[in-house]
Amino acid sequence: MKNKRFAIVLDTKRCIDCKACTVACKTENHVPLGTDNYRNWVGPEPLRGTYPNLGQTFTPSQCQHCSNPPCEHVCPTGATTVTPDGIVHVIEHKCIGCKYCMTACPYDARYYNEEIEAVDKCTFCSQRIYGENGQLPACVETCPTKVRVFGDLNDPNSDVSKLLAKHPSRVLKPAQGTKPNLYYLI
Amino acid sequence: MSRLIDKKLSRRRFIGLSSCTLATAVVGSQVKVLRALATSGDISAPVAGKDDSIFTTCGMCVNKCGVIARVRDGVIRKLDPNPHFIKSRAMLCARGNAGVKVVYDPDRLKYPLIRTGARGEGKFRKATWAEALDLVAKNLNTIADKYTRAGVMFASTEGTYQDHFFNQLAECFGSPNTVRHPTLCLSSNIQGFSATFGTNPTPDVLNADYIIMSGANRSEALITPDSIDMLKGDGGRRKVIYLDPRFTKTAAKADKWFPIKAGTDMAFILAMINVIVSEGLYDKTYLQNNTVGFDKLLPHVASYTPEWAQDECEIAADDIRKVAREFAEAAPKAVYYQGRRSSFASNDTQMRRAMAILNAIVGNWDVKGGMLPNAGIKLTPHDYLAPWYDDVPERIDAGSVAFLSEKDGSWPVVQERVLAADPYPVKGMMIYKQNVLSSVPDRAKTLKMMDQMDFICCIDITMSDAAWYSDVVLPEATYLERQDPIESLGGPVPVAVFRQPAIEAQFESKPCLWIMQELATRLGEEIAETFDFTMDEYIHHQVKNNPQILTDLKEKGVYFERTEPNYGSTLGKRLKTVSGKIEIYSQRYADKGLDPLPVYISPTKIPAGKYRLIVGRHAFFTHGTTANNAYLHEIMPENTLWLHSAAAAQAGLTHGQTVKVRSSVGEETLNLEVTDKIRPDCVYMAHGFGVLSKGLSNIYGKGGCDAALIETKYCPISGNAAMHETLVEVVPA
Ligand code: SF4
Ligand code: SF4
Ligand code: SF4
Repeated sequence: MKNKRFAIVLDTKRCIDCKACTVACKTENHVPLGTDNYRNWVGPEPLRGTYPNLGQTFTPSQCQHCSNPPCEHVCPTGATTVTPDGIVHVIEHKCIGCKYCMTACPYDARYYNEEIEAVDKCTFCSQRIYGENGQLPACVETCPTKVRVFGDLNDPNSDVSKLLAKHPSRVLKPAQGTKPNLYYLI
Repeated sequence: MSRLIDKKLSRRRFIGLSSCTLATAVVGSQVKVLRALATSGDISAPVAGKDDSIFTTCGMCVNKCGVIARVRDGVIRKLDPNPHFIKSRAMLCARGNAGVKVVYDPDRLKYPLIRTGARGEGKFRKATWAEALDLVAKNLNTIADKYTRAGVMFASTEGTYQDHFFNQLAECFGSPNTVRHPTLCLSSNIQGFSATFGTNPTPDVLNADYIIMSGANRSEALITPDSIDMLKGDGGRRKVIYLDPRFTKTAAKADKWFPIKAGTDMAFILAMINVIVSEGLYDKTYLQNNTVGFDKLLPHVASYTPEWAQDECEIAADDIRKVAREFAEAAPKAVYYQGRRSSFASNDTQMRRAMAILNAIVGNWDVKGGMLPNAGIKLTPHDYLAPWYDDVPERIDAGSVAFLSEKDGSWPVVQERVLAADPYPVKGMMIYKQNVLSSVPDRAKTLKMMDQMDFICCIDITMSDAAWYSDVVLPEATYLERQDPIESLGGPVPVAVFRQPAIEAQFESKPCLWIMQELATRLGEEIAETFDFTMDEYIHHQVKNNPQILTDLKEKGVYFERTEPNYGSTLGKRLKTVSGKIEIYSQRYADKGLDPLPVYISPTKIPAGKYRLIVGRHAFFTHGTTANNAYLHEIMPENTLWLHSAAAAQAGLTHGQTVKVRSSVGEETLNLEVTDKIRPDCVYMAHGFGVLSKGLSNIYGKGGCDAALIETKYCPISGNAAMHETLVEVVPA
């Protein structure tokens, strides 16, 4: 069977900074409480313009599941690895907590989870997408305005492929050469 | 986008002024808390079991979104949105997701409590249910004997679906003094729109091409499906015009934001009407056939020109003209969105009347993209015969306002009259989850009102401020632990919902129905008889004439009969107004001595050194009830006082500084947030902080309470509180 290339396409114009995605992720993935612990986040960008001509956008983000992941390259124990479907993840018992990967990640997508004593990060909610009912990732499913669309880029008929074919998009920090798989519609 | 790398920093920025609270935020995961509670003997340890998915409804706010509770080993792991739940377009917001923490909250009320110290001192002892209920019944009967049954007031929340049982107990006990939330929220909307259309309609946000929202902050004060549909423009045609003294997240999403001067919305609306009628942008035949009083509107609005309105609301006359023309052009797929909370000013009902009239004259009534009548799902009601008592006087707030709701009363009036024992004393208070100390304006006055009570009982799930000042506190089971009756959620596409317990009720908490039945038994046979049913019987009775409702609820968690509004169902039929038509001119108002057409009143001038206090909502908090939730708390650990940068510079105040905010009725201390997201003549603070109860351990001692500052003022037509009429000064703390 052909492998998948999982990706998320985001339409940030729809984001209202309601933080449903961050709470959903925390509960789904047992991310410990505390503002330094997160697998995803929503960045309110700085206010643009001067009163009363103001503007503001909100940018949700998470691990970019890079095709060329710097975190994997620096991991001394092979704890950070990539599945055949492109999910970058950490094998808990192999992680020694050196945090090299946290430094290497240009997106700041990783945190150290004191409870499991390992570095933790977004897994595209693999327990949900491979689960019995084939659920969507928690952040994707719960979003009121459906900012995120999740799917397989290897399937030209998937929603993500169709969206990217139809609309221009960009990735974050392309100069880093990480080849991210989170696409932001322009 | 370049800021993503600074995400940790920006997170610190938005929780901003309270970085010192960060260090304490790291507590155990839910499983850890559970284990800790289990070893302390508070609950039984999680037992091995299978995975379950249970359809139920969210109980975190008024929207009641469809939920699937994922349960493993007897523990709720996750709350997922119900994909069948059309009303909320299959989503759960941050609060909905944080609902897990409601159940496993160390701050939960676990047992009945009886006060041992002074009121507000927070000293309670654990009691048995029997002892606590005996004490409540004894006190209610004593007060009834001494002061008549009107001597006990009943304050209730809504949306637990079991609030009906609480109100039934109030009625059968025989007190006319029931108060609920509408006069702290939407009663002038209901009044103003009903006077015009015979109902408070729902804007068809999904299909409207042009939406004007004034003060309805839909990206933060979430109302489903509007908050979602607002963003779904059809082929880019949708235009959202947003009026608010604050640059909210809705302003960030709108096509145009006007920082309107607070309290002048009616000037903007009347000027829009002026443009539309003077430029003939309406359909004469339509108005002749469907409305009454259009001829009287013409001379009425003649002087309300855009140039006049410009000076009132500080929006350029040309902009008003442009919006009015675009609105009329987009009609009938254009709505002036009335919002929900209408507790802005004391002329609020007339302002809502102006909104309704503006909608009426562009012919958007009951058409696609316009203002739609609501429908409900028919359920068979539980009939009961309330006992009759002859010595009971009428409501304490009777005659206070032109149109008083018999069941809801007017909170500001009740507060004042109880305090003055005018015209009779009220000495007992039964509270069902309404956090009156956080929601009713002038907290000091509410405290005095409570002080003079002989007895106060509060039913809640956490130690709210209201519970903290009560004599007996009864723990209710949370919404995830209860079987709740079926509820029809009205709207253009009505749905029926219910709640099923995801897990058994923890600790000694009990559902409201059980508590009411136990109290009824103690209050007398006649009252007990009205409660002679089980929840199961009650639900089966509700669906007696349509068993499909229950089948669907069990199979997909929601019941509905159509997925699209039934457009035009009222066209050509009598509306529920006196004339049967849309009433631009209200004879009913004229007969009561009220302005039959809305007359503008300028808000009070703000003297130098003072600011108008405005209040509002966040997507993370529901009133005074969710700020203590651990997940939500870390999003916003405390509130701040927003002040415009120019105003701050003029007053010599700096960002992050602790300030005192003072009104004629109170003083609160909180940190200053200097921002350009607010008009220079206003200050704003989020609701739900500055609590009195030490039983809310995450937020006690954090931020300030808006209710402590807001003066008691209300609309003389609807009795709705006027929450934006308080002027404050801000000084360094
Ligand atoms: S849930 Fe959706 S709208 Fe809300 S903050 Fe996340 S991405 Fe934005
Ligand atoms: S995909 Fe799952 S793990 Fe990744 S950010 Fe979304 S909710 Fe979190
Ligand atoms: S909007 Fe949020 S809190 Fe309200 S019912 Fe829906 S999920 Fe629950």
